[in-house]
Amino acid sequence: MEVILPAKTMIYEVIVSLVSFLVLFGVLAKFAFPPITKMLDKRSETIRESLEASEATRIEAERLLEEYKTQMIEARHEAAKVIEQGRKISETMKNEIMAKANEDAQALLVKAREGIEAEKKAAIAELQSSVADLSVAVAGKLIGETLSAKDHAKLIERYVAEVGALNEN
Amino acid sequence: MSGLGEKVNELLFELGSHKIPGLPLTNYMFFLLIAFVLTLVFFLVASRRLSMVPKGIGNVAEMGLEFIRDNVVVDVMGPEGKGFLPFIGTIFFFILFNNLIGLIPGFKPGTGTMGTTVTWALVVFIVYNAIGIRKHGAWGYLKSFYPPGVVWPLAVFVMILELISHFIRPLTLSVRLFANMFAGHVILGIFSIFTVLLFQAPGVAKVMGLLPIAMQIVMYAFELFVAFIQAYVFAILTAVYIGGALHAGEH
Repeated sequence: MEVILPAKTMIYEVIVSLVSFLVLFGVLAKFAFPPITKMLDKRSETIRESLEASEATRIEAERLLEEYKTQMIEARHEAAKVIEQGRKISETMKNEIMAKANEDAQALLVKAREGIEAEKKAAIAELQSSVADLSVAVAGKLIGETLSAKDHAKLIERYVAEVGALNEN
Repeated sequence: MSGLGEKVNELLFELGSHKIPGLPLTNYMFFLLIAFVLTLVFFLVASRRLSMVPKGIGNVAEMGLEFIRDNVVVDVMGPEGKGFLPFIGTIFFFILFNNLIGLIPGFKPGTGTMGTTVTWALVVFIVYNAIGIRKHGAWGYLKSFYPPGVVWPLAVFVMILELISHFIRPLTLSVRLFANMFAGHVILGIFSIFTVLLFQAPGVAKVMGLLPIAMQIVMYAFELFVAFIQAYVFAILTAVYIGGALHAGEH
């Protein structure tokens, strides 16, 4: 069993393995490993960056959502307030209009009553005067022209009083 | 089972290192050069086929190198050890490619001979000691072997032990790798011999030949595992030695 080599054979192995190792080390260290480790670093950097970017985007999106939510709530409150205000305004306007209409109707009624009253009074006054004339004429016709001026006046007075009492009832 | 001893002797002779007539090479060096070319071509091609989205051969090389960087170099030496990635990476992948092509039937691993493993272990020994001397100065590095806080006659004894253990390192490093690769091939070879001999047996006894074939398959899987493990052990010990030299004196 020739595990331990004769020195002459061994020297070939030392030279070949040493030179091939050194050449391989030189070439790999200069041309092969740097681009590979650079790519590894670049990739991890890219992954880290995009993770950070997506995290920032997520936070921004959440912030916007929150903002929109509060805006929505505010808008809803605003709308409710506007509706409430409108309702109040219309309520007061309705009340005002109704009060005014009532007032107007009342005034109209009063005026009409006053008019009627005045008409009635005028009519009564006219009636009194025409009744006096008519009764003089009728009396004159009935008793002729016998009545003295004194009696005449007395008669008219009594009659007018009677008619006036009638009117007062 | 006649001729077993003779065949095992033949196998051991075959697995020994021999000079190829007419060439300044041994049989193992022939396969070492194949592994050399394969490693070189693999990494040169892979490093030209890198893409942001990992795929193909570039991805394989990236994964391998990333494993060595993160799980060997940085784990052992910390981030400041990253500068040693090319050295330790070359050691790992050159040994791995050698170990793997040795598994192809008829091939040998360039790491299956003492000539190679002793050379590389000595390279590691020289490199890590040079790093220690450059970092701490020759005297400072030597002083780091002197244990602090130990009474002096004992301290000298401990220092001698330390120095011996350092000089044994290239020996253990080289023998571990060589013995694993060599022994693996001896085992595979012996099961092959069993298979051949048992198939020559008369009659139904031939069936017995299936047993060593099954063993052969199991051993192949195991040797594949060993090929990775031994490259890994050599690389991680190199990292440990360099790390120790960098932090010499910080006990």
